[in-house]
Amino acid sequence: MAQVVAVTMTVNGVKSTHHPEPRTLLVHYLREKLGLTGTHVGCDTSQCGSCTVHVDGMAIKSCTMFAVQAEGANVTTIEGMGEIGHLHALQTGFWEEHGLQCGFCTPGMIMSSADLLSHNPNPSESEIRHALEGNFCRCTGYHNIVKAVQNAAHSMAQSAMAQAADD
Amino acid sequence: MLLEGSHFIHSPPSRVFALLNDPDVLSRCVPGVKSLVLDGTDSYKAQVEVAIGPVKGKFDGKIAITEKVQDQSMTLKVEFKSPVGIANALGTLKLEPENDGTTVHWAGEPQLMGMIASVGARLIGGVAKVQADLFFSKLELEAQKVES
Amino acid sequence: MTEKFFGKAVKRVEDPRFITGAGNYTDDIVLHNMTYAAMVRSPYAHAKINSIDASAALALPGVLAVLTGKDLVAAGINPIPPGWLLPDLKISAHHAIQPDKVTHVGNIVAAVIAETRAIAEDAAALVDVDYEMLPAVALGSTALAEGAPQVHELAPGNVAFKWEIGDSAAVDAEFAHAFKTVEVKLRNQRLVPNAIEPRSSLADYKRAGDEYTLYTTSQNPHIHRVMLGAFIMGIPEHKLRIVSPDVGGGFGSKIFQYPEEVIVLFASKKLNRPVKWTATRSESFVSDAQGRDHETVAEMCVDADHKVLALRVKTIANLGAYLTTFAPAVPTYLYGTLMNGTYKWKAIHCHVTGTYTNTVGVDAYRGAGRPEATYVLERIMSRMALELGVDPLEFRRKNFIQPDEFPYQTPVALQYDSGNYEPAMDKAMAMLDYAGLRAKQAEGRKNGKYIGIGVSTYLEACGLAPSALVGSLGAQAGQWESALVRVSATGKVEVLTGSHSHGQGHETAFAQVVADELQIPMEDVSIVHGDTARLPHGWGTYGSRSAPVGLSAIKMASDKINDKAKKIAAHLLEASVDDIVHEDGKYQVKGVPEKSKSFFDIALMAHLAHNYPADLEPGLEATHFYDPKNFVYPFGTHLAVVEVDANTGHIQLIRYVCVDDCGPIINPLIVEGQVHGGVAQGMGQALLENTVYDDNGQLTSGSYLEYTMPRADNMVQLEIGHTVTPSPHNPLGVKGIGEAGTISSTAAIANAVIDALEPFGVKHLDMPYTPEKVWRAISASLPQAADD
Repeated sequence: MAQVVAVTMTVNGVKSTHHPEPRTLLVHYLREKLGLTGTHVGCDTSQCGSCTVHVDGMAIKSCTMFAVQAEGANVTTIEGMGEIGHLHALQTGFWEEHGLQCGFCTPGMIMSSADLLSHNPNPSESEIRHALEGNFCRCTGYHNIVKAVQNAAHSMAQSAMAQAADD
Repeated sequence: MLLEGSHFIHSPPSRVFALLNDPDVLSRCVPGVKSLVLDGTDSYKAQVEVAIGPVKGKFDGKIAITEKVQDQSMTLKVEFKSPVGIANALGTLKLEPENDGTTVHWAGEPQLMGMIASVGARLIGGVAKVQADLFFSKLELEAQKVES
Repeated sequence: MTEKFFGKAVKRVEDPRFITGAGNYTDDIVLHNMTYAAMVRSPYAHAKINSIDASAALALPGVLAVLTGKDLVAAGINPIPPGWLLPDLKISAHHAIQPDKVTHVGNIVAAVIAETRAIAEDAAALVDVDYEMLPAVALGSTALAEGAPQVHELAPGNVAFKWEIGDSAAVDAEFAHAFKTVEVKLRNQRLVPNAIEPRSSLADYKRAGDEYTLYTTSQNPHIHRVMLGAFIMGIPEHKLRIVSPDVGGGFGSKIFQYPEEVIVLFASKKLNRPVKWTATRSESFVSDAQGRDHETVAEMCVDADHKVLALRVKTIANLGAYLTTFAPAVPTYLYGTLMNGTYKWKAIHCHVTGTYTNTVGVDAYRGAGRPEATYVLERIMSRMALELGVDPLEFRRKNFIQPDEFPYQTPVALQYDSGNYEPAMDKAMAMLDYAGLRAKQAEGRKNGKYIGIGVSTYLEACGLAPSALVGSLGAQAGQWESALVRVSATGKVEVLTGSHSHGQGHETAFAQVVADELQIPMEDVSIVHGDTARLPHGWGTYGSRSAPVGLSAIKMASDKINDKAKKIAAHLLEASVDDIVHEDGKYQVKGVPEKSKSFFDIALMAHLAHNYPADLEPGLEATHFYDPKNFVYPFGTHLAVVEVDANTGHIQLIRYVCVDDCGPIINPLIVEGQVHGGVAQGMGQALLENTVYDDNGQLTSGSYLEYTMPRADNMVQLEIGHTVTPSPHNPLGVKGIGEAGTISSTAAIANAVIDALEPFGVKHLDMPYTPEKVWRAISASLPQAADD
C-alpha cells in the first residue's frame, strides 16, 4: 500500500493523530479521516471556497494545503462553530436571513465570514461582498448572505456591548 | 492559434542545422526533457515534463522531422500524450544566414486536447514563448561549446 | 384560532442541519467495505477507440476492476435513452461507457474501481487508450454547413430534428402589410449549470434479495428508477431503490440520467461491494448537461399604431453529442410555445433545427427554453421600440393582453388562464422611479456617465401539464405529482412527496400548508422526499412544478385526511358528518364548541379503532395523485440598471427591481430567495458566463479559472415587489417562482446594457458583455482621433 505519514492536529478542540498519504489534502483528511463532512469540496482549482476552514485562526481553503502542513495546528471547521442551542452569531444570521438554500456552500461562507468579522466587526455591504469573492454560491444571489453577515455583525456588536456593560 | 518567433544563434546555418538534428544536443536543450531517443530516421521518442498554468504532466510522445532541406529548413510533427491531455503540433524551422550567424524562424500551431485544453489553452502562447526562449538560449550555448 | 402559516416568513426548518455542517450529501455517505470509481474520459472531441490497454492500471495494488464499454454491452446494458420524443427524431446511442467511438471531450471510455479514491484516480491515468482522431464540430451552425464532420452516422447533416410551431403563411401575410419591421441575430451562449455540489453516486448491491440501492445527486429519484431499471439495466423496479439525500443545488443539471449512475450500479454488483463516484469540478465541466446554446434570427413587425403584428423566429439549437433526458423538449415545446410572451400577436412562427455537435449534451438549465424565448422576445421588443423611437415600456404596455381577455389563446398552442400585466409594470416603474431615472440618464450622458435601463415584461409557463397533453407532445413521463399524508397514532404527520427539495425549502413551505390544513403545529409535520423506498411514485422537481403540482397533491391528500377525521369525529360525538366543522384545531359540532375532538383524539382513535364507525377503514393516511389541468403562468416586470465605464468597458449592475406575480405567496423568505438566485444566474449569463469550445471541440473554459461564476461583488441588493393573480385551476392558486428570476433577468440586463451603449450607436452585442467586448464596441464607434 501507499506510503503514509503520521499527522497530529487539534480539530475543534480535539487532538488526534492519523496516518494519511503525504499527498492527502487537508479537506480530505477532515472529511475522510475525521468524518467531518460539513467541510465540502466544490471545485479542484481553489476557487469555490466550499472547503474553507480556520487554521490557527485564519480562514484557509482546505483544498490548498496538505494535511501534513497542518501538523500541530489548531483547526476549526463548521462543526466546531456552534450547535443547535449554542449557535455562533453567523449561524444564527444565516438562518434568520435565509442566507442559504441548498446549504452546500454555507459552511465555507460562514467560515470566511467569521474571518472577515474577526478583522472587521462592522463591515460595509461592499466590504462584505469583497471579502466573500472567494466563495461561490449558486442559489442565493448573495443577497441574503450579505444580510446574514450584517445580522451577525449587529448581534455580535450588541453582545459585546452587553458584555462591556456587565464588566 | 499560430505561434511564431525568431532567435539569433551565433553560428552558421550548417552548424545550427547539425545541432538541431543531434539527439544529444536536443535532449540537453528541450526544456523539461526526461529522455529523447532516436527511433528511426528523423524520428524520436521522447518524454518531457511540462507545466501549462496549473496543469503539470509527464508527456510521452513522438517527434518526426519531415521536409528537411539541408541547412535551410525542416518541419516538425510533434505528438505528446499524458493523463492530463494531449498536445500535438506541426511546426516549421527556417534557418536564415545573417551577419556572422543564423536567425532561426520558428512557427507552429499547437493543438491541445483534454484537461490541458480546458485550463491551459489561453496560457499556451506565453508557455510556448518561454519554452522557445529557453531552448534557443541553450542551443546558443551548445553552438559556442562546439565552436570552442 | 390556531396559528396560520400560509404567507408567513417562517425560518426554514431544514437550516439547522446545514448551518452546523450536519447536512447529508451523497459524498458524505460512507458504507462498510466501500470502493471508489474513477472515470477515464476522452481528451478528444471525436475519435475512434482502436484499443484499450488496462494492464498497467490493473497491476497497481488496490485496483479491483477496469470496466470498458464492451463489458457493459456484453452484459446487456442498453444505451441511455432520451425521455422525450419528437417526430422523426434521430436518436444517437449514448452508452454509459462508449465501446467504439467518442463524440465529445469527457465521454467515458473506461472506469476504474479501486480500494481508495486516490488509487482509482492514479489507475485511471494508467489506462492506455489508443484513439484515432476524427474531425470535430462544435458550433450548431457549423455542424449544419455542407461538408461538416458527421457526429453520428444516423443523423445526416447532423440534424437531430426539425420542428416548428405557428402559422408561417399568416406571419408572411402580416409582414406583407407591416408599417415597420426589424430583424435581430442573437447568440444565446452555452452555459454550465454549476451547482456547487458536484454530482456523486454511490451504489450498494446486496446479493441477499438481489437488491440495489443507489444514493445519487438527483432532482427526481423515480425518473432514475424507471430509466435505470426498465430501459437501461433491466433491473425490476421493486429491486432498485434510489435515494437522493441532501442535494447541493440542481438547476436542472441533476434531472438527467447520467452514465456514472449506470457504471456504479453495474460495478457494485460485479464486485459485490458498494461503489462510490464523485465528480471533480473538472469532470463536471465535461459531463454535466449544459444549457442554452442557440443561434437565432428573429424578425417582427408592427402596424402604424405600433401594435405588434407578427413574429418570425428561426433557431439552431445545439444539442451536443447526445440527446440527454429532456433535451428534445427544451428548444421546442418549452421554447417555441413561449414566444407569445405577454403581448397580443396576430401571428407567430418558430422553426427550430436541433443539431448534433462534438460537445457535451445540452438540456434543461434553470428556465429551460423559456429564458431563451424570453431573451429573443424581449430583445426584439426593445429593439423595435428603439427603431420606432418610443419608450420600451410604453411600447410594451400598448401591446399587453388585457385582464378581460383571459382565457387567452396564443398562436403558439398555450392558452393563458389568467394574467394582469400592467399593475406589475406600474409597480416596478414606481419602485425604480422610472421617469426620474430616465431624466438622470439623459443628464449623465452629457457628463460622460453612461447608465442604461433595461426591461423585461416576461411571462413563463410552468408546472408542465396535464399528463395527457404532455404525452401527446412526446413526453415519456407523466406530469402529475403524488402526495401521501400519513398521520401516526399520536397525531404526528409525515408527508411523503414526489417533489424533491435541493434548496427550495419544501420541508418548510410544504409543512406550512399542511399545518394550516390540519390545524396543527408545524413541528408536528415532517416532509419526506427523495427516497423511492418510502414514497409513492413521483416525478420530481423541475420546471417550477413543486408548488403548483406537488403541493396541490399534498393539499388534496390533506383534504382527504380532514374528510376522514370528520367521519371519525361525527361517530365519537354522535353527530352527523355534515354538522362537523374543523375550527380552532378541533373537529367540532357546528355551533357547539364544547362538543369537539382534537386532532390527537382522532388520530388515536383511527389507530385503535375501538369506538369507530363500522363502515370506515381504520388508520389515518391518504394519498393523492394530482394531474394539473393546465400550466400556470407567472409573469412580471423586471427593470435592470447598469452603468458602463466607457474607458474600460466594464459593466456594473447598479440596481435591479423586479415585480413578480407567482400568485399567493406561501413563504416570502423562500419566494424572494428564489428570485434572488434566479436573477443572479440570469445576470451571470448576461455579464459573465460563457462556455467556449474551440474549433476542434475542445472545451477551453473548463474550470473556474476560465468560466466566470457570479460572485458576491457582481450583484446588488435586489428590490423586490409582487402582485398577486392566483392561478384559477389549482387548489391553492399558487404558481411557480423557481425559474422566473432567470427567465426574465438575462433579457432585462441585456436590454440595459444596449440602452447604456445607445450613445455609441451600438444596437446589439452578443452576451456575455465582458469589458473587452464592450470596450471594443465603444472604441469602434469613436472617431479615430483619440491619439491626440
